[in-house]
Amino acid sequence: MEKAQQKTTIIGHLKENYRLYAIAFGIVVIAELIGTIQFSVGSALIVLYPMLFAIIISIIFGKDALGFLKKKETKKASQLVLVAISPFMAKIGVMAGANLPELVNVGPALVFQEFGTIGTMLFALPIALFLGLKREAIGATSSTNRDKDYGLICSKYGANSPEARGSLSIYIIGFLIGTTYLGLLASIVASFDFFHPLALAMASGVGSGVMMAAASSTLATIYPAYADQIVMLAGMSDMLSAITGIYFTLFISLPLVNKMYAWLEPKIGRRGKNKNISHSKSAESRVSQ
Amino acid sequence: MNMSMKDWTISLLFTSVLTAIIANFFQNDISIMESIPGVLILSSIAFIGIFIAKIVPLKVPAVVYVALTGLLLASPISPISDPIIYYTSLISFTAPLTVVGTLAGIGLDFKAFMSQSWKMIIIAVFVFTGTFLLQAVFAQVFLTVTNTF
Repeated sequence: MEKAQQKTTIIGHLKENYRLYAIAFGIVVIAELIGTIQFSVGSALIVLYPMLFAIIISIIFGKDALGFLKKKETKKASQLVLVAISPFMAKIGVMAGANLPELVNVGPALVFQEFGTIGTMLFALPIALFLGLKREAIGATSSTNRDKDYGLICSKYGANSPEARGSLSIYIIGFLIGTTYLGLLASIVASFDFFHPLALAMASGVGSGVMMAAASSTLATIYPAYADQIVMLAGMSDMLSAITGIYFTLFISLPLVNKMYAWLEPKIGRRGKNKNISHSKSAESRVSQ
Repeated sequence: MNMSMKDWTISLLFTSVLTAIIANFFQNDISIMESIPGVLILSSIAFIGIFIAKIVPLKVPAVVYVALTGLLLASPISPISDPIIYYTSLISFTAPLTVVGTLAGIGLDFKAFMSQSWKMIIIAVFVFTGTFLLQAVFAQVFLTVTNTF
């Protein structure tokens, strides 16, 4: 009896999603047939592997470009990302368990480098102010703005606040170009030959599993001798970000970005005040017009 | 995660399990039969981790429990660490990733992206460059100072 019921739900599940599964399967096969392509640009080794091809192909087949899939199916697909990435995280866990002494050895460094997360605002806030952004800049540069960070900004400033609009923008853009860009960035930074491969591995944990995967796969291809350690450390760094990230944003990044904003905005931000910035809807800019 | 465990398991079977085996064949020339135990072990670890995430009320992302479960089962204290490490070592870490990219790409809201201002795209590039570079600097400094390399 129970078995029969389960059977119908499995069939029901398949009926609902078979198109999505079939298309995803097809895209995976095409991406795997293309395989891994490497080429050098200057001294940087650019590595394009199946996951990146899969992203590009599936964007084309998605609902906006070719309209192959319905809205409901694309929504389901984003839910399934978390399901599909779990075996990869399991693999990282196993690699970490198998190399436990080494993980303990670099553990303090792993914790320390998490503070490098403030690099988001150090690099991006001056640029944002220079481009004329106001309070949007706070949300946009306080973190890498992955799901939980956006949620945090929304609950702190309100979903309609300029801060949340800025955060949402980086969330959306990060989703599309973040993964590809991080793989590219890892190649370029590795080509400087300045950082140790393991330091770059730890840096790959930027708070998004997919982006970490892109950066660490690239690094593992560039430094085959360190491949396993790279993926293990990148995964552990990302796991640490996942646990501490939201508290870090709340107690360190946000107060800091607000201080920096108060200090830098009068210096750099003036430039934008006289111009009409289309997406800056703060009261301040409306008054000044 | 607001999916039922049953839905979760079926989805996993039809996404990762199937495609990781295929990907492992294309990428590493490891036969489908050889891949099956490793992929099933990884999927079981994922299952246990997701299950723990469901019953533990802490607000920690489910993937954290998955990675911790894997860590524990493969660590020296685990009686089954040897077979787990051996069978999963046959699965390359990139094998389960292709389908992740596929699903992320399908789920992408391209129109929302196109409506973003070019300024925000520049800022996003600096956000990601900033965190990556500074984390690398911090890690490098710490590892050099403590002489860990």
